[in-house]
Amino acid sequence: MKVKILRQVTPVSEPYWECFNYEGPMDITVAGLLDHINYNDDIVNDKGESTTRIGWECSCLQGVCGSCAMVINDRPALACETFLGDCKKDEVTIRPLRKFPVIHDLIIDRSSIHENLKKTSVYIGELMQGEDRDHEHQYTAAKCLKCGLCLEVCPNYKNGSTFYGAAFANDCYLVYARNKNKAEDIRRVYGERFGRGCSKSLSCMDVCPMKIPTIASISKLNRG
Amino acid sequence: MMRNVLVIGSGISGMSCALRLAGQGLFVTLVSPFPSERSQSVMAAGGINAVLEDNDEGDTVQSHVEDTLKGGAYLAGEEEVRGLCEHGGEILKYLESIGTVFSLDNDRKLSKRAFGGQSHKRTYYCGASTGKQIVSSLVMEVRHFEAEGRIIRRLWNCFHSALIKDGVCYGALLYDETSGGLEACYADAVVMATGGQNALFGKTTGSTQCDGYTQGMLFTQGVKLKNLEFIQYHPTTMETGQKKMLISEAARGEGGRLFYVEDGRRVYFMEDKYGEKGNLMTRDLVSREIWMTKKQVMLDVSFLGEELIRRRIPEIMELCAKYGGIDITAEPIPVTPSVHFFMGGFAVGIDHETNIRNLFAVGECASIYHGANRLGGNSLLAAMHGGFTAADEICGRMGGGGHPDLDGYIKDQKEILEKKGKTESRFPVAYIRDLLAETMQKDLGIVRDEKSLDNGIADVDYYLETAEKIQYDNSVMPYFNYSLIGILTLARAVLTCAKSRRESRGAHYRADYPKTNEELAHATLISYDDGAYNTRLEV
Ligand SMILES: Cc1cc2nc3c(=O)[nH]c(=O)nc-3n(C[C@H](O)[C@H](O)[C@H](O)COP(=O)(O)OP(=O)(O)OC[C@H]3O[C@@H](n4cnc5c(N)ncnc54)[C@H](O)[C@@H]3O)c2cc1C
Ligand code: FES
Repeated sequence: MKVKILRQVTPVSEPYWECFNYEGPMDITVAGLLDHINYNDDIVNDKGESTTRIGWECSCLQGVCGSCAMVINDRPALACETFLGDCKKDEVTIRPLRKFPVIHDLIIDRSSIHENLKKTSVYIGELMQGEDRDHEHQYTAAKCLKCGLCLEVCPNYKNGSTFYGAAFANDCYLVYARNKNKAEDIRRVYGERFGRGCSKSLSCMDVCPMKIPTIASISKLNRG
Repeated sequence: MMRNVLVIGSGISGMSCALRLAGQGLFVTLVSPFPSERSQSVMAAGGINAVLEDNDEGDTVQSHVEDTLKGGAYLAGEEEVRGLCEHGGEILKYLESIGTVFSLDNDRKLSKRAFGGQSHKRTYYCGASTGKQIVSSLVMEVRHFEAEGRIIRRLWNCFHSALIKDGVCYGALLYDETSGGLEACYADAVVMATGGQNALFGKTTGSTQCDGYTQGMLFTQGVKLKNLEFIQYHPTTMETGQKKMLISEAARGEGGRLFYVEDGRRVYFMEDKYGEKGNLMTRDLVSREIWMTKKQVMLDVSFLGEELIRRRIPEIMELCAKYGGIDITAEPIPVTPSVHFFMGGFAVGIDHETNIRNLFAVGECASIYHGANRLGGNSLLAAMHGGFTAADEICGRMGGGGHPDLDGYIKDQKEILEKKGKTESRFPVAYIRDLLAETMQKDLGIVRDEKSLDNGIADVDYYLETAEKIQYDNSVMPYFNYSLIGILTLARAVLTCAKSRRESRGAHYRADYPKTNEELAHATLISYDDGAYNTRLEV
């Protein structure tokens, strides 16, 4: 199998494609594949040239921390839960999420997700629950990994733009549901930073590893 | 009063400490290479222990204390454990108040479940993702203080070493990925919250971010470590190419049966030996029994029926299908014990200070409450409680006295890193880390003896010797390079502690000393004195 990876040495250097040959079992994940390529004593590309180890981020290796988000065969996904056998091609292409600045190879800087939430004061403050607790949806929304897959696939989200995307909307919902004194303020920033810009393609829900029904957050916030 | 505090690590313990400090008016720098969402804390599934007002009938804080001390084979200090357990109610209330989404029962009260080794139901949980839900709410609360400028997060930063002089800590050297260099960060106090030691063992149930480096490095800087020989194995994990995934105790709680196949028939070895409840014996006992079969052990839940499985243990069903291609409603799960939790770590007092003044440690990297073994659900409680306790101690201290001249040390470390990084060496650090994991799994396994420990020590000494000589592999992150010696040093210390304890107790089982020796009912302390690894009992 050919493995094609979009690499980049530093945040400011030019990206370039590099290919590797993989001859091993197909029941491994893309995370396993990256480890396999990296952990040979010598790492060589498909031309037999020795090259550098591929940079990528991981932590849990079981789909619960969001570290390993990348684009695999054109689909944004978590590398540790994407199996080679499911790629249905004899080539796998891997590139970093392109909505975030690249630090090195597949490692990206997703701090904008947190920064956007911070500058718009999306935090609960004091817990003041309203009547409708929507417990189950709060539980699901709080599972957001802040992995960035929803932003990668979103037709409206660009890094640095004023539209903040699904991860933002779900955290807004959590504050809205948990502090009724803040509900109106949150609905306002939600409107400015999400509501107005969302064209409801809802592709964010297709790629969300936690299967968060963002549409439910949207409708609750829109309804007020 | 102290003003600036450096908290290293942003999992549950680091965040709880930062919040408590910021809430009392201090300024906190919260350091971690990656955001809190990536920390091991998000993996905790089962729950957090506490005795609340609506307790299980007959449950008291006193019984939580007793269960914890007993679970830890009486090595933990009673006063410390009492502080932990008494704090449970307040911690749960706090977590609720910042929006943690706990599971509720029909009366909309917090649901609780039973966990191994406990006399009562006192484990509160959030579905199957307790750690993640706690992290989500703490992250939001930290964001609140970030917005007010009281907490500053430093991402892409890794701990390098502490700035210590004459037994006092004045800050830390951090490696900054974005600038590619070391930076000295002075602070009135430093709190380590860096989690467990997974990297010593390669594949474990936990996160690759927990590598034990900070413990190993600070050990060489004069910080004492404690109880390193006590490592909890989880009996049932499913091994994949990269890790060992935890199959929760719930599978056995629901009636799951362990067996192996011999001469074509199933041998239910736990039930044969311990009777009806055999599958539910304690984690270390089941792990040891599995190990002793020397066979592939299977865990069967299929007979429970699809309906019950889907209702009661859906996450286990999903995990096995996704990562093992196993339909647990129809076939058994191959299981193997795995390193899961580290009872050992920085030796700290009741206020969480190490033997170095103004250097604190909290969460899984500190050794204080769990003695020789940890009860499920107690580590999340300890992560919260430790963070709060260290913060309260720091808030009550005088500070702001400036710092001595440490420029010489800082300059030396910068030069070493620069020089070692300038090479074209390709000797892979990962290769030595793999060898180390192999050694540790083999020689410091569930069952140890003097010979295996001596072999392990000889191997690690050799890796250390090699690591001292090699240049850096410049195709991986510098942290990966410079952390190697610290990790190996910690491994050497762990093996030394295991060798020094000539008895079996809690999670430490010696084939050559299978009995518990009451004279040894004390914690192990280890210190690094001019290259020598010296252990003694804390009496
Ligand atoms: C699968 C699993 C299930 C579990 N379930 C439960 C449960 O149900 N109940 C329970 O009580 N416990 C459970 N535990 C244990 C519990 O999760 C941990 O003990 C606890 O989360 C530890 O929190 P912490 O804050 O100490 O460390 P972590 O959450 O591990 O955080 C460590 C932090 O330190 C940072 N760090 C590490 N090294 C460095 C460095 N060199 N420089 C800078 N930063 C660094 C990391 O990036 C991270 O931010 C479970 C553990 C696992 C693996
Ligand atoms: S490594 Fe955690 S989601 Fe992939």
